[in-house]
Amino acid sequence: MRKTIWFIVLVAALLLSACGGGLSGGGKVTLRLWGHQDPGFQKANDDLIAKFKAANPNIDVKYETFSYDDYIQKLQTSMAAGNEADVIEMFGTWTCSYALGGRLQEVPADIMTYDQAAKIFYKAPLDGYYCGDKLYGLPVEFNQENGGALVNPVLFEKHNVPYPPKWNTFADMIADAQKLTEYDASGKMTTSGFDFVTGDGLPATLFAGILEQGGSYFAADGKHFNFDTPEAKKTIQMMVDLVQKYKVVDPVLFNDTSNEVSTSFFTGNIAIGFRGSWAAGTGVSEYPDMKFGYVEIPTYFGGERHFAADSGWGEVVSVNTKHAAEAWKFVQFMMTVPENAMLYNIDSRTIPAMKVNVEKPDALLAVAPYMQATFDLLPHGQYVGNVTNHDQLFYEIIYPDVLEALQGVTTVDEAAKKINDDANAMVDAK
Amino acid sequence: MANLAIPLKSKTNTKTGRGMRAGENGFVIGTMTPLMAYMIFFALLPMVWAFVLGFFDYSPARAGIGFLGLGGANPFIGLGNYKAMFANSEPARVFRMAVGNTFLFAFLVLPLNLIITLPLAILVESVNSRIKGLFRAIYFLPTISSSVAVAIMWNFIYNPQQGLLNSLIKSIGLTPPHAWLTDPNAFVLGVPLAMIAVIIAYLWQDFGYNLVIFMAALQGIPGEIRDAARVDGANVWQEFWQITLPLLQPTTLLICVMTMLSSFQVFVIFQVMTNGGPSNQTTPLVMSIYLNAFKYQNMGWAAAISFVLFLIILAVTAIQFRLLRTDWEY
Repeated sequence: MRKTIWFIVLVAALLLSACGGGLSGGGKVTLRLWGHQDPGFQKANDDLIAKFKAANPNIDVKYETFSYDDYIQKLQTSMAAGNEADVIEMFGTWTCSYALGGRLQEVPADIMTYDQAAKIFYKAPLDGYYCGDKLYGLPVEFNQENGGALVNPVLFEKHNVPYPPKWNTFADMIADAQKLTEYDASGKMTTSGFDFVTGDGLPATLFAGILEQGGSYFAADGKHFNFDTPEAKKTIQMMVDLVQKYKVVDPVLFNDTSNEVSTSFFTGNIAIGFRGSWAAGTGVSEYPDMKFGYVEIPTYFGGERHFAADSGWGEVVSVNTKHAAEAWKFVQFMMTVPENAMLYNIDSRTIPAMKVNVEKPDALLAVAPYMQATFDLLPHGQYVGNVTNHDQLFYEIIYPDVLEALQGVTTVDEAAKKINDDANAMVDAK
Repeated sequence: MANLAIPLKSKTNTKTGRGMRAGENGFVIGTMTPLMAYMIFFALLPMVWAFVLGFFDYSPARAGIGFLGLGGANPFIGLGNYKAMFANSEPARVFRMAVGNTFLFAFLVLPLNLIITLPLAILVESVNSRIKGLFRAIYFLPTISSSVAVAIMWNFIYNPQQGLLNSLIKSIGLTPPHAWLTDPNAFVLGVPLAMIAVIIAYLWQDFGYNLVIFMAALQGIPGEIRDAARVDGANVWQEFWQITLPLLQPTTLLICVMTMLSSFQVFVIFQVMTNGGPSNQTTPLVMSIYLNAFKYQNMGWAAAISFVLFLIILAVTAIQFRLLRTDWEY
């Protein structure tokens, strides 16, 4: 009997300890904030939490971080269990799948309406949080994978190619890239003149190429896709020509698994590396002795620039929070006050989602001068749209299907059809 | 002097007549309860939950209305996930390819592992006992290394431009393959080169474990049997094929079962070395489960795949037990 009582006490103690405490002593509210692990983002959150707590002494904020892959799993398992954090740092393109699944709170109108938000934020990052005509979060970052590239001045000088580059057209850039490409004695490419073969680069190029030609990748219902179009095929053909005609990259040797751009550029194996400006930030911190630049690249088809951006990081509030008012107060403090949002961008080296911070970027450019090249591009971006599952579409459908075309496994027409069929099967499976 | 000893009366089970000392019951309950609770909550219940999920179109991003989020936006679909495995769709094609990759990997690793470890165990067993331990330690080191570290190291070895392997091949005047891990058009006897490269890396890490087991088994073979064989005129090969190998059958069964079990569940080395590419040529079932559960949020589909993997492993293990069982001991 005594053993039974002890067993019950032990189990009860374990269960009670698993219950989250929302209230500290003295009526103070404790908010839980979750984010992904990145030194810049962690510093940004730490600085803003300290500022928020100083301004709101009755609210405490407990901040936890997780590695990127663990973070996604953590969100999924904890939301299913109902014990996720009050405030969650979420990437824009993930938001609608959680919001429309009933996991997130709508932004209260007294915090910000969509129309108000559209005046102060760029639409590309903001629309990642706009699902079913409701706003579910606010962005802090404009994630930009288009229009810019890392450039290696040492390689430019080695091959007598003018630096900084002055490209008027995409053909000008390709001509330089051909000169910058190097091979070993056996004919194997050792340095890529222009490497765009990444999980982000191929989808970004495909979407931008379609949009530059005035096309669309969505079907008429706005939910399914149409990649089997002349615009998509022309864009894929352009990428295949870079490999097979102009030979500026060998996609068997340079891809996401082998010689990936954001590492291989900094080991001197890529002359022009197509990557978002965040890669420059990584280079500055992890390769401080490397001389490199970040420049704008011309449009693919010579017309006006158009590209699709997959939103960016921002904050959302869980539907299970017991402190909704305090949670939204915290989000409002971080995301809508320009100097706070700018502090976040400075610490994390991210492009501002807030227009006023791009119009007055001096503090940001002082720490991240390479971002200047991207600021002119921002007004030309549009949100990529509700793509059902961003990671699956980008990394498991578009990237491998385009890669197969680049590697000669499939033709351009086959690749376009496969992307179309696979993407629509993904939509139908949800 | 009066006998003041108080006889200890043990509890007796009147049915069996066996007794337990006072406190034995408590000891058994005290030690078994945490283990049983652990097994139930962290092994049995998750398995039951995974089996149940396979009958639902379940995503953790959607809030259901029923027990544990089932129902509502996560509807019951019966055998829908299992029927979808035979459909003419991309997820089904990738699933079938993953099944093929898993079988290819496991059925190549097992014989290659045995071909390497058994002769090596015999060789190591034959050396002086002073240095036997040194060899055993050296060969066992990769087994205790982190799989991630092993995969990263082999990625460097296989690097097409600066890798050690290509440098060695070029130094002897041969031409290495264009790429070991990323060329979708490279095959050897119908097997993707990337798969072969991963198998080599996996064997390098794993062979030490079976080597140590074989060495222990060889030490357990009575010397008298070998001596008797030699007296009867058996040469080295006859001794190996007709004495050593048959006597190793129980150990061989153990190694075959364990190697197949681990081969069917390999994930880390595939993810780090190739991430399932090129063109899904190195995507095993476990990676397919991981991607569907945690990247695509299709947990119902992933749960169904995991149950299929469970059935495959169960069947293969049962076949191995049937083929390699022994009815004798020594």
